[in-house]
Amino acid sequence: MNTPPHDAIPPRGEPSQPPERTGSARLRPPSRRVSGRAIGVWTLRLLFGAVLTLVVLSLLAWGASSAPWAWIPERAAENAWMLPVAYSVYALAKIAIVPSWRYRVHRWEVGADVIYTRAGWISRTWQLVPVNRLQTVDHTQGWLERVFDVATLQVQTASYAGSSTIEGLDSDEARRISEELAVRAGTLRDDAT
Amino acid sequence: MDRRHESEPNPHGAEPTDPATGGWVAPGSTPSGTARGPGQGAAEVSDPGSAPSAPAVGGAAADAPSAAEQPRSWWGEAPEGGPPAGSGARSARRLSPRSMVVGPINQLRGLLLPVLAGLVVGGFNPWLLTATGAGVVALLIGGLVTWRTFRYEVEDDRIEIRRGLIRRSRRTIPLERVRGVDVTSTLLHRMLGVAVVRIEAAAGSAGATEDGKLDAVSAAEAERLRRVLLHRRAVLTGRDAAARRGPRAADPAQGPEPGRDTSGTTEDPPGADGVADDIDDPDATVTHFTMPRSWYLYGVLSLGYLLTPFVVLATLLGMVQQSAGEVATDFFVDWVTSTDSAFLLVFGTVSVGVLVALMPLFAVVSYSLTHWGFSLRDRDGSLVAERGLFTRRSVTLEKRRIRGYELLDNPLERTRGAVGLRAIVTGLGDTATRAVLLPVGPRPRVEEVVDSALALFRGPLTRHPRAALYRRLIRAVLPFAAVAAVALAFGAVWPAAVAGVLALLGVPLAVDRYRSLGHGYDGERVSVRSGSLSRSQATVERSAVIGWTWTQTLFQRRSRLADLQVTVGAGAGGYTAQDASLEESVDFAARITPEMVRPFLAADGDEEGWADDLRGPGRGSA
Repeated sequence: MNTPPHDAIPPRGEPSQPPERTGSARLRPPSRRVSGRAIGVWTLRLLFGAVLTLVVLSLLAWGASSAPWAWIPERAAENAWMLPVAYSVYALAKIAIVPSWRYRVHRWEVGADVIYTRAGWISRTWQLVPVNRLQTVDHTQGWLERVFDVATLQVQTASYAGSSTIEGLDSDEARRISEELAVRAGTLRDDAT
Repeated sequence: MDRRHESEPNPHGAEPTDPATGGWVAPGSTPSGTARGPGQGAAEVSDPGSAPSAPAVGGAAADAPSAAEQPRSWWGEAPEGGPPAGSGARSARRLSPRSMVVGPINQLRGLLLPVLAGLVVGGFNPWLLTATGAGVVALLIGGLVTWRTFRYEVEDDRIEIRRGLIRRSRRTIPLERVRGVDVTSTLLHRMLGVAVVRIEAAAGSAGATEDGKLDAVSAAEAERLRRVLLHRRAVLTGRDAAARRGPRAADPAQGPEPGRDTSGTTEDPPGADGVADDIDDPDATVTHFTMPRSWYLYGVLSLGYLLTPFVVLATLLGMVQQSAGEVATDFFVDWVTSTDSAFLLVFGTVSVGVLVALMPLFAVVSYSLTHWGFSLRDRDGSLVAERGLFTRRSVTLEKRRIRGYELLDNPLERTRGAVGLRAIVTGLGDTATRAVLLPVGPRPRVEEVVDSALALFRGPLTRHPRAALYRRLIRAVLPFAAVAAVALAFGAVWPAAVAGVLALLGVPLAVDRYRSLGHGYDGERVSVRSGSLSRSQATVERSAVIGWTWTQTLFQRRSRLADLQVTVGAGAGGYTAQDASLEESVDFAARITPEMVRPFLAADGDEEGWADDLRGPGRGSA
């Protein structure tokens, strides 16, 4: 394995490890990707957010440069136009990169007993949720998602921290999975804590 | 839906035990109980002579066969050792008549200062006096109305609380969902021999709306309710109870329990149902812990209690400011300007010195007040923690719902090797204080109690990689160092010095934070530790782990670290091993719950990494 040197456990007194431990293992990526149409949803969602922010910023910049507010320093007022410009460059870059990147990271797998998901883009999250601990299964579809015919599946356990969300599933598949999971979760009537 | 009749005042006072109680049933009335079929049929038993009795009882009988786990006794068809159906066993009870006094007094206490101030400022003129008197009378009438209209009733499978004169409400709490019964009595309550009973019934949504509050019942009744509710619930959920207490229920000659604790005599009120009798067995109570005198001194180590004198001072000043307002301010300003400055300096120094010197004393006193006579007992499959001098709190936590425990300490407490203990309980939500099991005390003794009351984690904690130390150093030092540098660049010496000192202080903090990090598994329990100024080591049973979450940021990725969160359907919902080695933590999870993690482990060489993601679509075997 390629364990870097600093991963070694520092030899300072306390820890003495049980002998049977192997010490290292890796998770493989979940097997399934979300629907490719999810890229469209994420792109448009980012776009709308960016446009809204841009409008606000432009108004601010316009106000700062034209309104006679004395407390704004001269230099700031003169260069206020740079704010929306800089933001739009940033937003464009983000819109170009993030959705496809996220698509590559987002993966899921419903195993025999466990739901395994991976999400995020720069930071990422791997989550394991056992099916027999499910309490609720939500299948939701916003208007944008409906346009692209995708859906979001959310499973919840007794812990708020144990809730897992799969965004951008093909809507038929999401419905099928949610019904299947609901049936499987319903057959176990413990309090699932 | 609410066809309730308040027909006549009951001459017997708090406990109407009239045998002629009629009952009628309205199925499907409570929206809360969707999970339980039979419980939805809310039953209403009202005062004699007011309700049509016969026709609807069939509805309950029709509901009964759908009871899931075991044959339950509905309507007393065959209650174990209990009295027959429809008798006084399930008659609605009232609050203690003394609550008519307690409620108004408690309400009045909040208004006392403003009213007094008003009277003083208003010069006791007759109008104000009359208004005040009218207010007091109104409060008393309110207390009377509350007492008259408030009824509660423990049935076989639920407790019902009905209240309200004009806007009537009825709350039904299925006993299966009762998570705990909390008995509190303030000094006033105890002088009058009453107590407040809170029934916690949080299921998923931990909110006050789910709770049932009885304010107030007699101390004996509170004790009885606690035992009956928890016992009935245990029978309903039918895990241990049926087997353990079944035989005992057949023995009705079980004597009443001798007075047990501070809540006064605990003889059962006449007319109480038989269920209470078969569970008050003094042998079943095991005392795990009673607080030794020396432990009160640990209050000195708690920052919150150390700050008590300042809090008290601030409160006093606030009160003076509120009641006397500008007069006090003017007086103070006058006094300051007219007094000799040297004297002022000495006076100020001395008073601050006195306050600081008093800090430990105040800490111990206030700590003792809240933790007086702390005891932890084991009773009927529950842990009961009691504490408090003036306000005596008793918290009952069912052992079945305890998933683990947390050991908490701060740097001061660590110097004396002291820790506090909290339980990790399902259904308590964010009300963390209710799960306190032990006050702060020496670690060996605390661990001893944990071992006898729950089960101790006996295993080493794995240290986290060295990179975690660097991350902590960067986080604790870098921001202040940057501020110091910027301040220096702008020539601001004082801010630079302050930021520099803070940056230096960050070094030991970061080292300590790193040394706290650790996670371990002893074959049955998982333990995770983190934090410095408030360090916590959470230990949960293996079976309580209901999932795993790894989170890795860009910075963690470089040094192959990740935060591993152990998902638990109790306590805080999840406990995180911060900055653990990703590979080691995956192996850790796989050892604890192989069935959950093993299917997703990578074979050697099949590495997950950036490259895998950037290779693009098509690789995933979709």
